[in-house]
Amino acid sequence: MKNVIELKDLTKDYGNGRGIFDISLNIAEGEMVGFAGTNGSGKTTTIRHIMGFVKPTSGAAYVYGKEAWKHSSEFVRKIGYVPGEIAFPDFATGTAFLKSRAEYLGVRDMSYAEKLIERLQLDPSASLKRMSKGMKQKTAIVAALIGDPEILLLDEPTTGLDPLMRSAFIDIIKEEHARGKTIFMSSHMFEELEATCDRVALIANGRIADIVSLDEIRHPARREYKIEFKSPEDYNRFKGLGYEIVRDQPQYSQVTVSIGSNDLNNLFSDLTAFDIRFISEVKYNLDTYFRKRLNKNLEKETEEYVQ
Amino acid sequence: MSVIEVEHLTKDYGSGRGVFDVSFHVDSGEVFGFLGPNGAGKSTTIRHLMGFSRPDCGQARILGKESFGKYHQILGRVGYIPGELALPAALTGWEFLRMMQDMHGKHNDELLTKLLRMFELDPSGRIRHMSFGSKRKLAVVSAFMNDPEVLILDEPTSGLDPVMQQVFIDYIKNEKKRGKTILLSSHIFSEVDATCDRIAIIKDGKIVSDFIADDLKHAEMKNYRIVFSCQEEYSRFCRTARTVSFLSQLEGKPSECAVVVSVHDSHINDFVSLISGFSVTGFEHLKVTLEDYFMSYYKEDKDFGGALTR
Repeated sequence: MKNVIELKDLTKDYGNGRGIFDISLNIAEGEMVGFAGTNGSGKTTTIRHIMGFVKPTSGAAYVYGKEAWKHSSEFVRKIGYVPGEIAFPDFATGTAFLKSRAEYLGVRDMSYAEKLIERLQLDPSASLKRMSKGMKQKTAIVAALIGDPEILLLDEPTTGLDPLMRSAFIDIIKEEHARGKTIFMSSHMFEELEATCDRVALIANGRIADIVSLDEIRHPARREYKIEFKSPEDYNRFKGLGYEIVRDQPQYSQVTVSIGSNDLNNLFSDLTAFDIRFISEVKYNLDTYFRKRLNKNLEKETEEYVQ
Repeated sequence: MSVIEVEHLTKDYGSGRGVFDVSFHVDSGEVFGFLGPNGAGKSTTIRHLMGFSRPDCGQARILGKESFGKYHQILGRVGYIPGELALPAALTGWEFLRMMQDMHGKHNDELLTKLLRMFELDPSGRIRHMSFGSKRKLAVVSAFMNDPEVLILDEPTSGLDPVMQQVFIDYIKNEKKRGKTILLSSHIFSEVDATCDRIAIIKDGKIVSDFIADDLKHAEMKNYRIVFSCQEEYSRFCRTARTVSFLSQLEGKPSECAVVVSVHDSHINDFVSLISGFSVTGFEHLKVTLEDYFMSYYKEDKDFGGALTR
């Protein structure tokens, strides 16, 4: 499959360690890639390079094989972009802004825009200046999708949206993804990325720290179960069975065991001989994955330092 | 003693918008969560508490004083983070913080320095040039810097990254320990879950639920999702489930060989022995989260409104 977006050793050095450094990432046609990282880690800077707003210090961003800084005018209409900091042009109302956007893109049929407006419960007739953060965000989303673009670049698109709108937005993005759009989305909400993305890149201090395929997260080879026993005796007896214990909390008579999915039956038949209070699966998700991963990196750095 | 009181508060903006007969109270030392989608009336209620708006009927009180009439006696004792920030763009962060200190007549620079360090904020630049996250941090610091006894926080962490959200949660927890009374409106369920003692949900300007946070966490009826190794095992389980009294089957998905059942905690051991007789490849306790509970109040809209199809 061909790559729609390619970042090759993209570097923008703002001095004092700020900026982005050697970012390399390919996004294939129809793929949805998430972008996670703290404020100031370089997410927005990277996305702005893809739009061709910024000239890289070295390396380059390519869209359809064209270098973004030099040739963005050739592909910018194919990108639906929701910026991280929204600054609308000077139009009186949301409707006026959306109309001008549609004209610029040569969109005649407004039925898709109207459908989006209805799903996001947006009243675009309101004054652009007086809109709340949530309404501005919705207007920006509609403006990005209005021309049915092939690529979506979304920089924290759900900030300011309430839970209902967030879920409506996620459904829209899932549909766009299913229709074959190429999507790159940054977000602070891991659940959001987990629900939508094929892969997620983690950026820390301007560098890609990790890229993970969501299949690995959704279908882990081993799973963890937390079990609490009614008596310390049962708890101790269970520990004698030789399960791999990843967390031990004697004060609550609790253990967390890690097992392969084939061993689940054995666990249940062993448990019939015990008096338990509860058993539940410890969910493996993007949040736990990245936390573990970052801790490991930290340990590695410390080790190197010690050596 | 109730520190924050809202009694039969009504403000009718026409065409069904506004708040209607809203009543709740937050006791001294309590953290109260206020949940609802945009436009449900959270900010309107909070703005009445701050004395910015005159109620059509009913009233809002803080520390026993009626908000609209006596706001000047209240403001000095309340830390407020507004939902929509409107900061003076031409000032630097420092100028703004100093101005707020002067207005309150309190200059606690030790606490201010601590807050700036905690939230990693450099207030030296002009507000005009600050990112959304930095402006948020500035509002957070300015609300906390005078160590007020009441905190009214309207979506305080919107736009902050997960690391800063955690810093914020830790700070709130500590303030709670120090006996502060806190009203927190938020869209971020994990934040409300981590801090609040009591939670109210507002819908279309009316309170639809007011409950103790722990009740949700410690429900004794639990739902489990079980995945079987094959169709035969799935069907055998479904047949058996009908004959067992301690378990009720809520859902069955033959295509995935998966069921969802509900079991009371007192029967967990019977449940485990039952499952041990089947070939199982997946087992999961489905926690009822605050998010699920919240969404259940809006499900109707989803089904009939059309605009919110999941």
